[in-house]
Amino acid sequence: MQETTFLILTALADGSQHGYGIIAQVSEISGGRVRLRAGTLYAALDRLRADKLIGVDGEEIVDGRLRRYYRLTPAGTRLLAAEAARMHANAAAALTRLNLAGGIA
Amino acid sequence: MTDSERLERGYRRLVALYPRAFRRDSEEEIVAVLMATAREGQRRVDLAESADLIRGALRMHRGPRLPRALLRAVRLTYAGAVAELGVLITLLVTLGGLTSATIRSYPDFSVAQWHAVLLAHLTAVAAGAPVLLALWVWIACANARGNHAGRLAFRVVHVILTLGVVAVTYAGVPVYGMASAIAGGVMIQIQLAALALIFYPSKTPLPYRPHRQLGPAQR
Repeated sequence: MQETTFLILTALADGSQHGYGIIAQVSEISGGRVRLRAGTLYAALDRLRADKLIGVDGEEIVDGRLRRYYRLTPAGTRLLAAEAARMHANAAAALTRLNLAGGIA
Repeated sequence: MTDSERLERGYRRLVALYPRAFRRDSEEEIVAVLMATAREGQRRVDLAESADLIRGALRMHRGPRLPRALLRAVRLTYAGAVAELGVLITLLVTLGGLTSATIRSYPDFSVAQWHAVLLAHLTAVAAGAPVLLALWVWIACANARGNHAGRLAFRVVHVILTLGVVAVTYAGVPVYGMASAIAGGVMIQIQLAALALIFYPSKTPLPYRPHRQLGPAQR
């Protein structure tokens, strides 16, 4: 799974978000390292919707502008959980080996 | 025109590069996000934003990722279009052979009747080949986009062409030369392989896109 995809799914993990909200959440989750642009975001959202990993939760008009909210589907939640567990296990293995080698304090 | 209106117009020009289905579904939404992420006092779309939107548009035009078997089927369908062109070229190049074959097949015919038979065949090929060529390309494009109609059309065209070959064989109209027959055989083989791949069971869910038909759900 690409990092952008992982971060978008993570941004939706604790509730639905609209496009701008996802961009802000991704920036926050990545500590400001990943700044999603609209073109990248909507290409990813389109693919995730097609793969049924996210769905539309509703729409509203704010200041004359359309906001569409996205949420994780059960399949998206399962995929994110599996990916997070895999990354966690890999990171734990790496840290254990670094500790054994005295690489980090 | 205000700076904000000028900026929005710039964004809309770039969003116009996206596929129509996407614009119908999401243009207002993506423009809203673009305006919300614009810098304070920004007047024009900057280079990085333009590159990102153009890249996004290209990605959407390429369509969804396809399962490997379907991807191969799409490539084979394009190869089928090339083979169809090959059949047409072979037929035109071996026109002399076709004339001889017509004469051999109908030895009792007069010259005028041979010409009539030849003309009927050539007219059928000249009219049918470009249509079939366009159909092959359309089927490949439709399947690449993950369109159900593409799969259905493939099955229908395959059945019609196979029945046509069987009918011609049984009717005993062996007017085509060996080269044309081989080219036609190659085309049918490619078509069969593509058909098998299109209906090859895949673990990957086919990325067909029902969400385009969803109506707006008010929050």
